[in-house]
Amino acid sequence: MCRTGQPDPHDAGDEQTSDAAFAALLEDSAEELYESAPCGYLSTLMDGTIAKVNTTLLGWLGLERAAVVGRMRFPDLLTVGGKLYHETHFAPLLRMQGEIGGIALEVKRAGGARMPVLVSSVVKHGDAGEPLLIRTTVFDARDRRAYEEELLRGRKAAEEARKQAEADRARLQEALAVLQQSLLPATLPPVPGVETAAHYHTASPDRLGGDFYDVFPVDGKRFAFFLGDVCGKGPQAAAVTSLTRYTLRAAALHDPDPVSALSTLNKVLHERYTGSGDPRYCTAVFGTLEPDPVTGQVAIHLASGGHPPVLVLRADGTADFLPTPGGLLVGVLPSARFVTATTCLAPGDTLLLYTDGLTEARTGQDRTSLYGDEALLAFAARHAGKSPTDVIQALTDLLDGFGAGLDDDTALLALGAPAPTL
Amino acid sequence: MTARDAATGPVLEIAGELDHVHANTLREVLTTLTLRPGQRLVLDLAAMEFCDSSGITALIAAYRHAQAAHADFALAAVPAPTRRILRIVGLDQTFRLHPDSDTATRPRPTTT
Amino acid sequence: MDIERRNNVTVTGNPQGPTVVLAHGFGCDQNMWRLTVPALAEDYRVVLFDYVGSGRSDPAAFSEDRYATLDGYAHDAVEVCDALDLRGAVFVGHSVSAMIGVLAAGLAPERIGALVMVAPSPRYIDDDGYRGGFSAPDIDELLASLESNYLGWSAAMAPVIMGNADRPELGEELKNSFCATDPDMARVFARTTFLSDSRNDLKSVRVPTLVLECTQDVIAPREVGAFVHQAIPGSELVTLDATGHCPHLSAPAATNEAIAGFLAGLR
Repeated sequence: MCRTGQPDPHDAGDEQTSDAAFAALLEDSAEELYESAPCGYLSTLMDGTIAKVNTTLLGWLGLERAAVVGRMRFPDLLTVGGKLYHETHFAPLLRMQGEIGGIALEVKRAGGARMPVLVSSVVKHGDAGEPLLIRTTVFDARDRRAYEEELLRGRKAAEEARKQAEADRARLQEALAVLQQSLLPATLPPVPGVETAAHYHTASPDRLGGDFYDVFPVDGKRFAFFLGDVCGKGPQAAAVTSLTRYTLRAAALHDPDPVSALSTLNKVLHERYTGSGDPRYCTAVFGTLEPDPVTGQVAIHLASGGHPPVLVLRADGTADFLPTPGGLLVGVLPSARFVTATTCLAPGDTLLLYTDGLTEARTGQDRTSLYGDEALLAFAARHAGKSPTDVIQALTDLLDGFGAGLDDDTALLALGAPAPTL
Repeated sequence: MTARDAATGPVLEIAGELDHVHANTLREVLTTLTLRPGQRLVLDLAAMEFCDSSGITALIAAYRHAQAAHADFALAAVPAPTRRILRIVGLDQTFRLHPDSDTATRPRPTTT
Repeated sequence: MDIERRNNVTVTGNPQGPTVVLAHGFGCDQNMWRLTVPALAEDYRVVLFDYVGSGRSDPAAFSEDRYATLDGYAHDAVEVCDALDLRGAVFVGHSVSAMIGVLAAGLAPERIGALVMVAPSPRYIDDDGYRGGFSAPDIDELLASLESNYLGWSAAMAPVIMGNADRPELGEELKNSFCATDPDMARVFARTTFLSDSRNDLKSVRVPTLVLECTQDVIAPREVGAFVHQAIPGSELVTLDATGHCPHLSAPAATNEAIAGFLAGLR
């Protein structure tokens, strides 16, 4: 809105008031403003000798005018750190640029206290361009400095918190690594007359997996082995994995019969997790192997609880599933039926146990089809006759090839009767 | 997930994916369900498109819920992939499977 | 390694003339010699450079270990002389660079034939029978100042923004930040400068030397100028009627006259 012509009569009263205030302002002399301005003023010769200083700054310094003017140089007002900074940074820049603004320094006050200030200076030049004097304003920066120090303290605290968090994470990683080692054997024990190989692919970033396997001796002639898959992922699944592994090992020492071992595990899991509102169960194949040192054959007795059938790769280049249909998930019901199977590995034959991370891997361009049993059987047939180590290596390469299509943990265990060396 | 009552008892129709998220929903629905002894809890899976291990866990939870209430438990119209998983894990021997919800909700012949 | 790029070497003046190397001290960079170069350019080939960690030197070349002693900076100076294959050059060093020049002349006697020491100090801290002008707590205060970075928060003093090619709008500002340095590198230079003690190196100087001091200099008081003059055999001392630590800026005419006179005497 614009005012036009006549003043609005309603504004007359306000205008009189502001006129009076304006008149009062006019009486504020430039000299009075200089002396009592809310900042310090200072004029020095080019060598820094103070020629003029205002009352505000003298008040801050706690000094008499007579002690300052003509007697002190600007750097004399500063702390030692400030003096050095003035000589090495402030003065050279002012000389080169003719002006400098917003430099944080500290002035000394009478009695030894320090006062943070912000200093700006400009060189006044004569008609011929020669430098005549330096005009300086000094602003009280106590509040600002306190705030900056608060910020610095905050940054330091944040930095320390970050370091602490990193240390905590490292410790946690270490703890997880130790726990992870308790879930899987570091190496498989040597089994006389049998070659073993295993591989574990973990999909979880905290490295706590839900798949498990193990091979261990049960008596003078037999070894037990198992491989399985706990439902779920992460720490909860790892706790079940741990319980499962040690239950099976203990049960096998008591009675290595596969159905007996799985029944014990079933009972333990069911009792532990029933009524917890969080049912936990697993699939597992448990078996024993007994090598015959005379024939080089290995007798296999196994039982399955809800686990995909194991594969047998024969030395003659064929491969077959060893079916165990109807074996129930372990831990679901108070008592469960487990299905047994037996086979005999002749020299050059290999028994392959796997978890469904392998068969459920998503393949194809759009990752919608699953790798599946048939592809696995064909793959096994192509590698039949190879040693367990070679079979596991081939499968490891296969898993790597799945890339992002492999989103679940996968455990592989191969047990073979070594082919006769020619 | 919709619930309806049949002559035999409650029928839950499960549509879409029975994954981790929906498995939790199913388990919550189960706790609100009134199931009397002798009734039959039927899960109709005709419209279910996917079921992972969390889904299987939820089916087991439903089975246990029915058992605790002294009720029957049945699955209707189980899709082929899920039927395959149930076969592998041995649950096809434990759960009663029906081709569709009509047969699943047919009252058992009573003997007098 | 490309030393000329690393130390932002500038060569100007008369290519046929004897070579004068101008070396800046702690604080700013080769721009400090802005008023000196015109006085020498006609008769001398003038070499300017920035120490690593200062001015437009390559920040990637900085190493806290190397620059924790003045020797590291002396090697910068020698490597610049090597890169240009200088013989018998006159090394003009301001402030701490005057002492760096002494060390460099010892490392490469064939490269450096004479020294001009502008406002030199071989030791800033008072010692038994020696007055450097500062106490140990004073220097700690400066280091603490730099450490907490509470001095020099203005744009002119702001750290050089690394990789500013992405931010061309900063260019204008950077043109005026001669004294802008990375605070961490400046802290190392400050510590090395103000905690150094090179008094014993002075007596080994074997080349013609001019010592320039100011009448009033808080960083290098007159006692220090006298000490340096006495310690270097055959040196010449000129007291400039100038205040402050940078006579080449505050009293350029007198400073240039003294340097030119010394250089003329060498020819």
